[in-house]
Amino acid sequence: MERVIHRRNFLLFPVILGLMFLVHPVLDVKAQGPIKVGIIDTYSGPPTTYTYDVRDAFKLAIDEVNAKGGVLKRKIEFTTRDDKFKVDICLSMAKELIMMEKVDILMGTINSAATLAVSEYCKTEKIPFIVTFSKSEKITGEKGHRYIFSITENTAMIGKAAAAGLAKKPYVKYWIAGDDYEYGHALADGVWGNLKKLKPGVELIGQSWWKVGEPELTPYLTAITAAKPDAVIFATGGASMVNAMKAAKATGFAEKVPMFIHTATEHSTLAPLGLDAPEKVIGTSNYHFYYPDTPKNRAFVKAFKDAYGREPKVGALYGYLAAQFIVKALEKAGKMDREKFIDALSGLKVDSPVGEIEMRAFDHQAMLPMFMGVTKKVREYPFLIASDIVTIPAKDVMPSIEEIKKARGQ
Amino acid sequence: MTFGGAELICQLLVGISRSMILFIVCAGLSFVLGVLRVPNIAHGSLYMIGAFATFSITKMFAGSTGFWIALILAPLLVALVSLIAERALFQHLYQREHLMLLLFTFAISLILGDLVKIVWGAEYKSVSAPALLKGSISLLGASFPRYNLFLILIGPLVAIALWLFTIKTKIGKISRAAAVDREMVGVLGINVSWVFAIAFVIGCYLAGVGGALVAPTVSITLGMDHTLIIEAFLIVIIGGLGNMWGALVGSLIFGITHSFGVLFWPQFAIVFPYIAVVIVLLLRPKGLLKSVW
Amino acid sequence: MFERMIRSNWFVPITVILIILFLLPIAAPRFYVYILALIYVTALLAMSLNMVVGHGGMFQFHHAVFYGVGAYTVALMLTKTKLPLWVGFIAGPLVAAITGLIIGWFCVRLTRLYFGMLQISLGSLIWAIVFRWYSFTGGDDGIHGVSMPSFLSSLNHSYYFILVVFLICLVLMYMIFRSPFGSTLQAIRDNAQRCEAVGINVRLYQLGGIVVATFFAGVAGVLFVVLERSVFAEMLFWVLSLEIFIMCLLGGWFTFAGPILGAAMIVALRTFVGKYTEYWTLILGVILILVIFFLPEGVMGFFQDLLKPASKELSERGR
Repeated sequence: MERVIHRRNFLLFPVILGLMFLVHPVLDVKAQGPIKVGIIDTYSGPPTTYTYDVRDAFKLAIDEVNAKGGVLKRKIEFTTRDDKFKVDICLSMAKELIMMEKVDILMGTINSAATLAVSEYCKTEKIPFIVTFSKSEKITGEKGHRYIFSITENTAMIGKAAAAGLAKKPYVKYWIAGDDYEYGHALADGVWGNLKKLKPGVELIGQSWWKVGEPELTPYLTAITAAKPDAVIFATGGASMVNAMKAAKATGFAEKVPMFIHTATEHSTLAPLGLDAPEKVIGTSNYHFYYPDTPKNRAFVKAFKDAYGREPKVGALYGYLAAQFIVKALEKAGKMDREKFIDALSGLKVDSPVGEIEMRAFDHQAMLPMFMGVTKKVREYPFLIASDIVTIPAKDVMPSIEEIKKARGQ
Repeated sequence: MTFGGAELICQLLVGISRSMILFIVCAGLSFVLGVLRVPNIAHGSLYMIGAFATFSITKMFAGSTGFWIALILAPLLVALVSLIAERALFQHLYQREHLMLLLFTFAISLILGDLVKIVWGAEYKSVSAPALLKGSISLLGASFPRYNLFLILIGPLVAIALWLFTIKTKIGKISRAAAVDREMVGVLGINVSWVFAIAFVIGCYLAGVGGALVAPTVSITLGMDHTLIIEAFLIVIIGGLGNMWGALVGSLIFGITHSFGVLFWPQFAIVFPYIAVVIVLLLRPKGLLKSVW
Repeated sequence: MFERMIRSNWFVPITVILIILFLLPIAAPRFYVYILALIYVTALLAMSLNMVVGHGGMFQFHHAVFYGVGAYTVALMLTKTKLPLWVGFIAGPLVAAITGLIIGWFCVRLTRLYFGMLQISLGSLIWAIVFRWYSFTGGDDGIHGVSMPSFLSSLNHSYYFILVVFLICLVLMYMIFRSPFGSTLQAIRDNAQRCEAVGINVRLYQLGGIVVATFFAGVAGVLFVVLERSVFAEMLFWVLSLEIFIMCLLGGWFTFAGPILGAAMIVALRTFVGKYTEYWTLILGVILILVIFFLPEGVMGFFQDLLKPASKELSERGR
């Protein structure tokens, strides 16, 4: 019997070794080969509503650059990995991209926990990492460092923008409801803290939190209606957005109680709902394909629609920004050197469909304006759009450098 | 915080309507568990397919008719998928260890999950309720969604239909007998293999019905199978394995404690189902009602 | 005992393999070193689960909780306290085992699916605490960038550390597997009523099995922190529990080393197939079905059966 067990063990190792060499180490870094960008993101499940647009817009912009001969006379090449929205898979795939594919720049991620894990790894490996969708303010705030950049809004920015918009409304008694996870709580704290500062008279009469992915929100909404608040701040994201909007419409909640939801006006939320979305919901977003109505944005929307047959959502802006920042920073750095690339990217300004965007040098957070609007049915589209849009400029949205320093304990 | 009577009743009804979808799905899961002794992880995937199919069928027709047609066709499609899986693969495995069957249904759920992604894409979908059931009615001053009212009506109908099926029809009686003693049913000269196939398909059909009914109230996404399946197993366990009425009781406990929990302790809503299961199982280790296992 | 080991005919192959594994970091690309280390961690976790599932016959449905508890314990001690490293390394498995004792104490009152679902519920309560307690555990963001002392800072050093701990654990588990305690657990798996009849306290043995298994799960959790420097709430979620369960069944849950193979297969599959396609779960599903149909005892069980005639011959000769 003993012999068998160990023969078994003996068989085990060739199998593992076989698996290991199944995929051979590929390319060594060639001096004038392409510049490699690795994208690690979630390409399965609900987050794809956001991540596909990032990837597609990025590809569109990169293809255009490559068609003109690339940057620094080198082409840009990118490869994607699906992390299934799991932290451990994200981490091992990021390591694979860095160790095996030897990518020069890493970008992507929509899962904040995964972003923070990969961020720490990039810090030790000294790889520039550009975050395209994770919303945690810790990424460029408390846990920020030299190698991480964010080109998406974060919970601190959402909080400031929402508070700036809501402070102008007459509501006093608020209720907060949201997804019971970091994003929800951080967003709620952000909005509430800032609103309290801008308008000290506001009063929080209650809160409800549901588990992430909770399918049935009707019980929550009926419970909130019973408490009769002046307005409700919803701190939800992802698939819950659609659930919240649907429930708000079905229960007639949206007509009775003014509600604010970040991204309620965003196309990612409104497109799947079609005409079933409630009207008069206040929302904020970084981008609308119909606003700002500038030639630059129109050209961007046209190019995207021609290539993919759909309107760009907010993710497309991030994908486009990622490409612009990478290309411009490479041009400025003069060669693909990671440290020089980072120096070039800090404080860099690029043009975009929403105007000029600066990568703030201090915390590596892109300074994005926010658009606050209200959902509305219009004749042109089979879905709702944002109307009465107010632009909240980047300077009012960004957390101050003092706040960042404080969060980092400096 | 105080609430008026109208709000309490409203909340109770919302809880019951939520329970009804859970009940329909769990009754199917419990039925399969009872007759076939298979903890079917793929049940959640079939529920998801039901919802996605409802989306596609609803889109094919203009107006509200699409939804009503989907309500009939989508579960049948799910039943067809399950019939294929059963006849092609599952029927060869009934003699295996339970855990192996668990592994098998897990493998099926992986495959179905990716197939859904291939067929419908990864973005989320939304179905609108038919015009008749849109909006809400006023109930003692509080507003209550019509669609939830419809769910409260349909739940008991399914329960009665299922109950009649198991006590009145021949196949129902045989499957109840097979649940208790499958060898004996085989000895009597009944083709057990087909009994199992039919029981499996009926169970999965119910998953499809649940998926179709839930479609207008939620966003239809990949991953909705995961959210559901663990809850469904917990409900079936506290109700008593294989007991249809147990599934009803379990679903009501889940739905109602949840909706009142939301009203009174919203911060802790996330742990209610688990606490309910722990309490029930510690008091009644075999579930609330008689289990066939 | 050592003489017997040296004389036996498997001594040479084992030594060769160990030498290869120890020399590997010198020659192999870094990523393979990392993946191999990840396989050891995952394999240890799967083997610890198999002690109760395969050898004990219990439906341990939420094993990941103990892995997560071990990992969180060490991560919290390293980031929030000034205690020396080894205290954290010992505390991780111990806290996991204590958690195992508490949860197991409730679970052994029930059987099979009821046992499993009660464990899922109790485990999920712990998950909810980790998920919700932002100020202490970091909530769903987790804790990242746990700093390690210099002797564990490079990948190769942590590889060796993990390999050595893994091997020690394997030897310990094997000794438990062959001990009277292990045999009793297997007897309970095969026929609990009979064991009860001959006066064995079934619940006590099962509880003992759970405590031992959760201890090793805690060790795996500590090793994960050494390798990845991160902990996150997902580590305690039931989906991971299901995954490790699958590793045991895939590798062969009635064999001692099967889970190692199962873990290696799943880690390798998701890493290398994941490179080429988003649909690696589909491929995993198909492989699982093929295994179920053609290798009913799992992959390792299949190899074992292949070698069975030889073993019979051997044991007869031995007699």
